[in-house]
Amino acid sequence: MKRLAAIVAAVALATSACGASDVDSADAGGIYTTIDGAKQIDATAPINPFNPAGSTFMGYDAMALAWPKNGLTDANAFYPGIAASWTATPDQGEVVIHLQPKARWSDGKPVTSEDVRTSIGLAYTQGGSAYTVNAGAAGAAADIQVLDGKTIKITQGANRSNAFLRNVLSTVVVPAHVYGSLLPPGFWETLRAARGSGPAAEKAKGQITGLAQRVIAFAPREDVSAGPFVLERINPGAALLKKNPYFYDAARIQPDRVKVLNYTGNEQIWNYLVSGKLDSAPFTAVPAAVMSRIKQTPGNEIRKGYSPVAASLAFNQARKPYDNVHVRRALAYLIDRAQVTRVASPEAGTPAVTTSGIHASAAAAWLGGGGLAALEPYKVDAAKADRELKAAGMVKRAGTWRMPDGSPWKVSIHVPASFSDWVAAAKSITSQLNDHGISASVVTSADYILYLDELAAGRYDMGFWLMGLGPSPYNIFQRLYGSANGWQLLAGRLTHVPPGQQGNWMGGPETVAGVNPGELTNRLNLATPEEQKRIVGTLAKLTNEQLPVIQLYDYVNTQFVNTSRYTGWPAADSEVLRLPAGVWMQLGMIKKK
Amino acid sequence: MTLTISLPGRRDERGGRVSPRRAFWRGVGRVLRRKRGRVVGVAILALFAAMATVGPLLYPANLPRDDNALYAAPSLAHPFGTDFEGTDVLALVVTGARYVILTGLATAIITVALGTTLGLLAGLHRGRWDTVLMRITDLQLTIPGLPLLLVLSTVWKFESPLEMGLVLGLLGWGGVARAVRSQTLSLRERGFVEAARGLGLSSTHIVGRELLPSMAPYIAMNVLIAVTGAIYAQVGLFFLGVLPFESNNWGVMLNLAVFGGGALTTPAALPYLLAPLLAILLLTLGIVLVVDAMDEIFNPRLRED
Repeated sequence: MKRLAAIVAAVALATSACGASDVDSADAGGIYTTIDGAKQIDATAPINPFNPAGSTFMGYDAMALAWPKNGLTDANAFYPGIAASWTATPDQGEVVIHLQPKARWSDGKPVTSEDVRTSIGLAYTQGGSAYTVNAGAAGAAADIQVLDGKTIKITQGANRSNAFLRNVLSTVVVPAHVYGSLLPPGFWETLRAARGSGPAAEKAKGQITGLAQRVIAFAPREDVSAGPFVLERINPGAALLKKNPYFYDAARIQPDRVKVLNYTGNEQIWNYLVSGKLDSAPFTAVPAAVMSRIKQTPGNEIRKGYSPVAASLAFNQARKPYDNVHVRRALAYLIDRAQVTRVASPEAGTPAVTTSGIHASAAAAWLGGGGLAALEPYKVDAAKADRELKAAGMVKRAGTWRMPDGSPWKVSIHVPASFSDWVAAAKSITSQLNDHGISASVVTSADYILYLDELAAGRYDMGFWLMGLGPSPYNIFQRLYGSANGWQLLAGRLTHVPPGQQGNWMGGPETVAGVNPGELTNRLNLATPEEQKRIVGTLAKLTNEQLPVIQLYDYVNTQFVNTSRYTGWPAADSEVLRLPAGVWMQLGMIKKK
Repeated sequence: MTLTISLPGRRDERGGRVSPRRAFWRGVGRVLRRKRGRVVGVAILALFAAMATVGPLLYPANLPRDDNALYAAPSLAHPFGTDFEGTDVLALVVTGARYVILTGLATAIITVALGTTLGLLAGLHRGRWDTVLMRITDLQLTIPGLPLLLVLSTVWKFESPLEMGLVLGLLGWGGVARAVRSQTLSLRERGFVEAARGLGLSSTHIVGRELLPSMAPYIAMNVLIAVTGAIYAQVGLFFLGVLPFESNNWGVMLNLAVFGGGALTTPAALPYLLAPLLAILLLTLGIVLVVDAMDEIFNPRLRED
């Protein structure tokens, strides 16, 4: 009996010990478990949103002024973030931001216009979008004016862009009392000097961009967040965030804590999902069999929505025979896009209806049903492909297509080895081409960075390429008629560089039948909505005829939620599916069951 | 002199003289028959040799696909199921054997040729030769093979098995050179080598007729062990996805089964994962069993007759 009593006592002790250590799970709102789709966890990285590997998590403890809806056509639709509201003049020359009146940092200090101004200053050191020191760059902010503690006005430079509001609202806000010391005294004067020209301006530019590394490496001792959560601790396996009691809308936030699990690859995320560990997971490529296994886990549900991205096969038109549009068309007629999608991305892709340069959903909105139907669909048609190849002068000998001079034609399709869906798609395409007497093979690159480097150096004939990156029509067509195809925008001037230079690996012609697609694309930045629609129509038709790429499949935003512990999930096709779950919580979704 | 298989003057059952070569092969036959596993080992190696030589001839250049049977389960038509494209997995394993085995052989030849030559030279000549060659060997042994291969793969596509074998061979000869040198240092003090030297026989004779035969078992075993090492190394590199894509490469198959098919998460792509694994396992087993037989063939102390 004594032994039994001792065991009972030991068990009781152990139970109470577990209870003490497991106090988190006893919290009313529970622990919300997820992963960060944008990056893996690096426990040694600073708690700094300017650091690409930083230990901050967008929507949870890292906050932007507003959250983009990324709809089909409207690039300027946002949900409020640190900015409660905003106004912009019709030409977006001036944007006035009104901050959340109750917004406070996790240390209790209020979020002010000065924080936004400091954040903008820090963004200048990193360059790009609205905050660039390149004189004359389109859409650059020219003046930042604090109107009062909660209102700030940002004025666009003379070279206007309709992406200005979007870029301003995407500003990540950090506390001035933590990050302010990174901006040296006289920073704003230096910035003003940098916007000029001449040696003094160049020196000032150098001073500002020279701060970039210092900003990236800055490591605050603790997280000071204006978001719904603040980082409590982090280790290589997970980051734990606790609720920020000072968040401006704290009553809407139900989970007491958020646990962001680390992963080394997709298969680890699949295992998390199969075991039901994750309350939600952002877009993850999943094979059909794994998807069916994930669905079997109690509570797991799939939420599918629009994803403004498509996969394509891009040509280097500086290389023969891909300089000939008939060859590109022949290949388009030979590739069975439905089969490619079934092999490569059955759960997260839909076969492209045609090549327009735009994701099918956005294409329908931009071009209308009639406009889309007017484009050549490039359905699989071996006879048409043969005609196109003959028109290009290619010759067929002993069942194999050869170059016009009779030399062998070897098609090499390049993909990064780490993109399993692209590898499978490329293999499917080469099999289809081989069936038709075109000798084709897949060549992989060790990683994506190397792949992009080699692609930019013009070493590939053909390679996989992400396209249709909406909703901004400029961003969509910039993937086809931007720097990768020779059009460079420097100091507000658009120039076209020859193939093989300055990253021009697509090598397309500067004008086609009198149309300069790069110029039209650039004009999308400045055009009114009506004009944008007309330009998009022209570019879609040109893309469909000229095929700088063959659009293969449009991605589907496939997300996972588990209804066992929380409810209030976004519905399928909801715009918020394109945002982190932290933003869902800010919007009042996600309730404890 | 410890030449292991030299049986001149032996007579067959009918009393006739048997040539040394025939006596050797009879000895080999006896050793193999003594343990059934050794015969199995030879059969496995023969099977893989056949796969490498005639396997690709059994299938069309472009393997047929069944568009409606992606990741199909094993069946009579597809004993190991199909891959992500509906291609028979067995056909992939068979046609992929050539690259794997050729790489293994190329690696083994380079490893053993370089290692033996340098080890013999160092051990035989000693002095400065030994110092220089062993420092080079030490240097080679310090080169981290896998990281170097990962870096090399960014600039070299290793499209031919001979290229792959050359690199793996150049990275693997150090151990053999060290061991051969040790054996040479030991053997050169033995009476039969002293006698050969006393008779004024040339270095070529001493190396070719006195030292090498004594080291033959060790060298032969190293050939086979180098083959397995090369197979693991190249399959590993292909699995990591750093080498060029060939859908019938066993490492690529493993990679696609795990990362593309989710073979470690669901059973659907498991046969696609297991087929190349089984091939590697069988090939290794065959080599181990044959090494066991070779040990006895070349080592008179182990011989039971």
